[in-house]
Amino acid sequence: MSYLDLEGLVKTYGEVDAVSDFNLAVDKGEFISLLGPSGCGKTTTLRIIAGFETPNRGTVRLDGEDITQVPPHHRGMGMVFQSYALFPNMTAWGNVAFGLRVSKRTAGQIDQRVQELLELVGLADASQKYPAELSGGQQQRVALARALAIEPKVLLLDEPLSALDAVVRVSLRQEIRRIQSQLGITTVYVTHDQEEALSISDRVVVMRKAEIEQIGTPIEIYTSPKTLFVATFIGTTTKFDAVVADGRSGRVRAGEIDLAVGQDLSRAFSDGDSVSVFVRPEAIRIAQAGETVQADNILPATLESVTLLGPVIRLSLTCSGMSLVADVNTSERSRFARGEDVLVCFQAGACRVMPKQEI
Amino acid sequence: MKNRNPAGTVSILLFLGYMFLPILATYIFSVAVRWDRSILPEGLTLDWYRTAFQDRWFLIVFTHSITLSAATVLTSVVLIVPTAYWVHLRLPKALPLLNLISTLPFAIPAVVLALGLIKLYGQGPLQLARTPPMLVLAYVIFTLPFMYRPVASSLEAVDVRRLTEAAQSLGASWPRTLVQVILPNIMPGILSGGLLVFATVFGEFTLATLLVGARYKTFPMQLVYYTRRDGRIASAYSVISFTVAWVTSLIILWVATWGTRRSAGRGVQGELASQQASVGGTV
Repeated sequence: MSYLDLEGLVKTYGEVDAVSDFNLAVDKGEFISLLGPSGCGKTTTLRIIAGFETPNRGTVRLDGEDITQVPPHHRGMGMVFQSYALFPNMTAWGNVAFGLRVSKRTAGQIDQRVQELLELVGLADASQKYPAELSGGQQQRVALARALAIEPKVLLLDEPLSALDAVVRVSLRQEIRRIQSQLGITTVYVTHDQEEALSISDRVVVMRKAEIEQIGTPIEIYTSPKTLFVATFIGTTTKFDAVVADGRSGRVRAGEIDLAVGQDLSRAFSDGDSVSVFVRPEAIRIAQAGETVQADNILPATLESVTLLGPVIRLSLTCSGMSLVADVNTSERSRFARGEDVLVCFQAGACRVMPKQEI
Repeated sequence: MKNRNPAGTVSILLFLGYMFLPILATYIFSVAVRWDRSILPEGLTLDWYRTAFQDRWFLIVFTHSITLSAATVLTSVVLIVPTAYWVHLRLPKALPLLNLISTLPFAIPAVVLALGLIKLYGQGPLQLARTPPMLVLAYVIFTLPFMYRPVASSLEAVDVRRLTEAAQSLGASWPRTLVQVILPNIMPGILSGGLLVFATVFGEFTLATLLVGARYKTFPMQLVYYTRRDGRIASAYSVISFTVAWVTSLIILWVATWGTRRSAGRGVQGELASQQASVGGTV
């Protein structure tokens, strides 16, 4: 049996569904991310786990025990907030010690534990500083230490890095993961940043409009999205609106283009069905017009724009009126100029086919 | 100011004169031998202060007013702070209503309030009418805006909701959260509210006269008594009243910065300093 069980959670505010029929089983020591756009219900779900919200229906079970009606201060769950929520009247030390004082530890135990935790988050020498004297990243480290101090049964993080700048965000998320693995603490992490979710989680729950779209490991979510929403929300992708031309041999037709998608479509679709075909930008290779290339799909295209993203450059192309995105190594940048005619090449296996539907 | 605008300078001077001339005149009048027949006072004396201090009523009315002020501050802190906290935390939809209620006392003249209270509590089981406790309760209503506004803005400034949730997730019950987390962080608001209430009550005359009258003589009653007999002694009383207000502010400021040092302390000082001018005018 899993450690944290969420069964059939429903939460409505008036007419609005915040969470509808949410089911999730989290194993002990697992790092789970709830990922989705704002308003998808991820924060409400987290607040139900913390006890700040009571679900209209459904059960929260911790280690087999129904805790749905247990008030937050008896749940033993450490929470980290986007706005840090450090107590401004207490030093870093005082903040970390707060939960320990509440649970009536001896002064010696408190001293030792606070010291341990401040060292764990790398702030041992800032213990006498007040929150106002610390940077955002440092404040969030203190908040993390404070939540961990009570040895919580579950660690809950609500967009903990959203208020921080990019560099701090990346280093702190690695650190959160390091500490989480080191302590083996069950963690639920809410974020709207897919890169964050994919990079640190054991499993990701993608949510949209109060519902779960897909639960899976980061690599599953990225490479085998189950729904159109997941396919477009996670990462960048090119979408072809197409109809099935010959399902058995895996051929579809998008406008004037024929595409080989490398799978038998006849079981899921009939010929003539509308489908969406997705191709990741990193799966596309660009060749010069006239170059001899080998690929399942080779399409003539025009280069519309070139954007430097750092290690890769992103090319926007048009092909028979459809837009495509491709990433190539930045070292190859000299090969590409705007307005140039090129060939877009990708293998059939890089295509993911889904029934066409509106998002 | 590089470009001196004469209109600006004049309006500032007019404003300063309007604010400070009466106070200055009161100070001078309280140490003048006589100042009703000449442009300048006819000599200086401390006789009026001596008379004021030697009056056998002085200590009594002084103690009465201090007691009333302190009791009102305590009662309103106990009543208003938890209420405002709870509404901010759990019933944010009721905030507009609370804001409206908190401004009502401005709309009700003291006379109306006093007569209403006497009528209501004149009979019945409580028998509070015309007693000092009732006066304190009336003052709590009368000074509600002074206490509520600064407390409410402090509550808005510190994101009580998040802090409360943080404390709860660490195992703290809500009374503990209020005392250890919320109170210290809204202390600037409570202090400036308390200061305004204290000063207002110390100088209040109408409600005191109508509700308890001579049974429980207050400092302003004695002041009014002297304005009818000798304006110079009355001036001495006024100056003492100013001084009480200033000393209270200083004490509270000192306590505040001593209690909530550092970052929070700086906030307290700033907020209290900005309240002091209005206190001078209230008393």
